[in-house]
Amino acid sequence: MGTDLHYEISQFLYKEAYLLDRRQYREWIDLLADDIKYVMPLRVTVDNKNETNLINEMTYFTDTKADITMKVERLYTKSAWVDNPAPRQRHFISNVMIEPTSVADEYWVRSYFLFKRSRSSEINTEELFGEREDIIRKVSGGWKIAQRTVYPDQAVLTVMNLSMFL
Amino acid sequence: MKAEELQQIKGKVEEGYLPQWVVTDPEIYKLEQERIFGTTWLFLGHESELNEPGSYITRMMADDPILLMKNKTGDIKAFLNSCTHRGTRLCTEDFGKKKTHTCPYHGWSYNLDGELIGIVAGNKVYGEKMDKSEWGLRPVPRVESYQGMIFGNLDHNAVSLEEYLGEMKWYFDIMLGRSDGGMEVRGLPQRWVAKANWKMTSENFAADPYHVQTTHRSAVEMKLTPTDPLYASYGHQVVLSNGHGINVITSATGKSANKYQGMPESMWPMFEKNLNKEQLTVFSKVSTFVGGVFPNLSFLSTCSGSEGIKHNHINFRVWRPVAPDKVEIWVWYMIDKDLPEEYKEKSYKGFLATFGAAGTFEQDDTENWSRIIEASQGKMARDRNLSYNNVANYLMGFDNVEPDENFPGPGTAYPTCYTDHVARSMHKYWLELITKESGGEG
Repeated sequence: MGTDLHYEISQFLYKEAYLLDRRQYREWIDLLADDIKYVMPLRVTVDNKNETNLINEMTYFTDTKADITMKVERLYTKSAWVDNPAPRQRHFISNVMIEPTSVADEYWVRSYFLFKRSRSSEINTEELFGEREDIIRKVSGGWKIAQRTVYPDQAVLTVMNLSMFL
Repeated sequence: MKAEELQQIKGKVEEGYLPQWVVTDPEIYKLEQERIFGTTWLFLGHESELNEPGSYITRMMADDPILLMKNKTGDIKAFLNSCTHRGTRLCTEDFGKKKTHTCPYHGWSYNLDGELIGIVAGNKVYGEKMDKSEWGLRPVPRVESYQGMIFGNLDHNAVSLEEYLGEMKWYFDIMLGRSDGGMEVRGLPQRWVAKANWKMTSENFAADPYHVQTTHRSAVEMKLTPTDPLYASYGHQVVLSNGHGINVITSATGKSANKYQGMPESMWPMFEKNLNKEQLTVFSKVSTFVGGVFPNLSFLSTCSGSEGIKHNHINFRVWRPVAPDKVEIWVWYMIDKDLPEEYKEKSYKGFLATFGAAGTFEQDDTENWSRIIEASQGKMARDRNLSYNNVANYLMGFDNVEPDENFPGPGTAYPTCYTDHVARSMHKYWLELITKESGGEG
């Protein structure tokens, strides 16, 4: 992959994180392709001879754009207590790796994430980390996320809910 | 814990209050561990999670790690997940399939019946007298199932599971025993931790539809649920034995817009064969069953989806106490095996959208439970003399709601779900257990 492409896609991911951290969820939705598949499987502990320690049969979410839109709009209501008072949140995105796919203008993008959240005056902060596998699509005028699979590293999540987008 | 302090709790509970200090008090928590979690039936898993001989899952009974295995004859056995040699945790995996479990410390190995079958260097180091049969895995004293739900009890002398569940069995039959093939758990439970006390979370499901119109007000704003502030009150709150309780929520008309919770008509003949007339009456009118088996198993069977094409989904959850102010939440999604695949997928999507860690309803629940903890740890809330009037209010329906004698199901049914009858019953049973002089056998 060329450095220009790598730079462009990385900047796109940072911009996405910036919108989420500023709670500009409606602007964030514009970065998603209409046919996006947004999924978070379960991480489990299994014997090492197993090929995978991820469970796809049960997920934390399996969302279409319509599902995501509903969740986003909910956060703009007056009584989504999980976002009121506003959480302070950061998505740290790193280790970006990009490969071409068999589809022109679609790239397979892996990144690591560390999500941190602070609520109210609570001195303990929440965190969640893992990696994401995306399909990022070049469309006229920019980039869209066409697919995202979020793989958490924890079998027992240390966040009290998954109201954030990852 | 002083006797007069317990006596004072009793007085307050009888009057419809709960002293706020008991929510996060470490001494109360210790009593609960011994006298409640050491003596009552705790949910371990569902039979569909153990498919074939050698299948195993690991679970927790409060702080005890448990290994459940299916043996060669198809029986499910549960043991303390701890090697009998030095106490090492034997199996670290969540699930899997194997014929033997071998301890990574010194290599002792056990078969599917928990028998010790291998000792590294056996006779050479222990001599001929070492009797392996004396060193099998330590079984959970009592393991019993009802409608596929496996429970364990650490008390050798406990009443049977069926006796403990009592009237709840009638409602379990509707939710879990309605179709010929029974229920199946999809994948594994979701797990996460929340800042909450197990009593508050259990109460929320078994006893508190009143929270729905405020905690979940965003759903009203989104036009997903009715604007009528009483909408979660219609139906009956039913007080059951042993601190169990269920809310049978209908609608303002007393009926559900979706007969049998929106289940496809192809399933109806099965329901009509497997359930009795009274059960069918309740099932045909209910929109949501939400309740709990004391102490820490809760359940919700409801419908989601756009108007007219609702799909039933069921989840069971354990609030595992980790500390006075912390629970580990385990949520199992399950649905009837016999349903068409297409329906199952829609049901699953309905569940994910509303409940579970990312569900829009569940998100705001955890937020409020953590706020109870935040405001219940200081001197005023923790004062055992109650000099700051630090009692929580459970007065709803205390003396102005009478039981409905015409309700077709067992238990004491009150004609509204906005009442604290089940909560008060839970408090009484909770107190009865923590004030019993001796817990279960050690």
